[in-house]
Amino acid sequence: MIMCVAVVGHQNNPLYLQSFTEADDALKLHHIVHCSLDVVDERVNNPKKSGPTLNETFLGMLYPTENYKVYGYLTNTKVKFLMVTTDLDVKDADVRSFFRRFHAAYVDAVSNPFHVPGKKITSNAFAERVSGIVKSFGPVTTG
Amino acid sequence: MISVGKIKQYANVLEKPVSRGRQEVSLSAFAFLFSELVQYNQTQVDNIAELERRLEDAGYAVGARVLELLCHREKGNRRETRLLGILPFVHSTVWKVLFGKAADSLEKGTEHEDEYMISEKELLVNRFISIPKDMGAFNCGAFVAGIVKGVLDNAGFPAVVTAHFVPMEGQQRPRTTILIKFAEELSNKIYRLSQKTFDFSSFVPEPVV
Repeated sequence: MIMCVAVVGHQNNPLYLQSFTEADDALKLHHIVHCSLDVVDERVNNPKKSGPTLNETFLGMLYPTENYKVYGYLTNTKVKFLMVTTDLDVKDADVRSFFRRFHAAYVDAVSNPFHVPGKKITSNAFAERVSGIVKSFGPVTTG
Repeated sequence: MISVGKIKQYANVLEKPVSRGRQEVSLSAFAFLFSELVQYNQTQVDNIAELERRLEDAGYAVGARVLELLCHREKGNRRETRLLGILPFVHSTVWKVLFGKAADSLEKGTEHEDEYMISEKELLVNRFISIPKDMGAFNCGAFVAGIVKGVLDNAGFPAVVTAHFVPMEGQQRPRTTILIKFAEELSNKIYRLSQKTFDFSSFVPEPVV
């Protein structure tokens, strides 16, 4: 179950924040997202191992709190996507495919000529696509 | 991708193939649109420098979006952190997507450390444009310079990008060169790191005439 997704710009300014649970503690989710930004910066500036993982866009699990896990993804323009989930056994491949589709939706939203880079994303189509992607997130069933 | 494509006329619309299409924009449509863009900006400004800056700003917005699109589409999950990685990317991939072919050449400037040049025999945007004498050194390639600037800025390599005409002997029309001058702060960070893996064997160095 995905709790919320967030898009943060390259100056750590929030571009899009959407939570998907009813019993939302919106402030707490914002706070979690904010703290994960520090982890992202740390990962980017001090790469753990140089080599094939140096230039990856998918950052993996940023940190686990008591019942959430936060995953991060960094685009080439230093825009960060963050995803907070409550699943305990979510697979790496699922998260990667989620971020790939999310990136596609983001690229479409930014290609809008009326979108000002640096401002919040206000497109309804983007919000709908993100909801669709979130709903279809889950373990890939075999067969 | 802009190209001189002829649209094949089908007698019956039901016979049209249901394919992705060639994903091309007709050259004439783009030429008209670009000429209108230049004319519109010309009525709004008083001098050449301002006109160049406006074209550059227009290109900047395109560059930012092209970078996002290309990184998602072509690069998969790799990010470019090295200066020597982003330059060939601009030189081939971006040019191919926009103009249908890679740029003619990419050279390193000889006078300063952080100057690079992308040259093209004739920029696609300049194909149907002739500059009147009284406009001096104005080049509508400022639009393309803006695109390159948008790509580099948003990838984290701030630079000043300008377009220049370089006259060549034996050719009637001058060659166009996009001059990229990277900002000061870069020479400390990534550029120095990439010096060790400096390898120019991938592009052919040509002396600038």
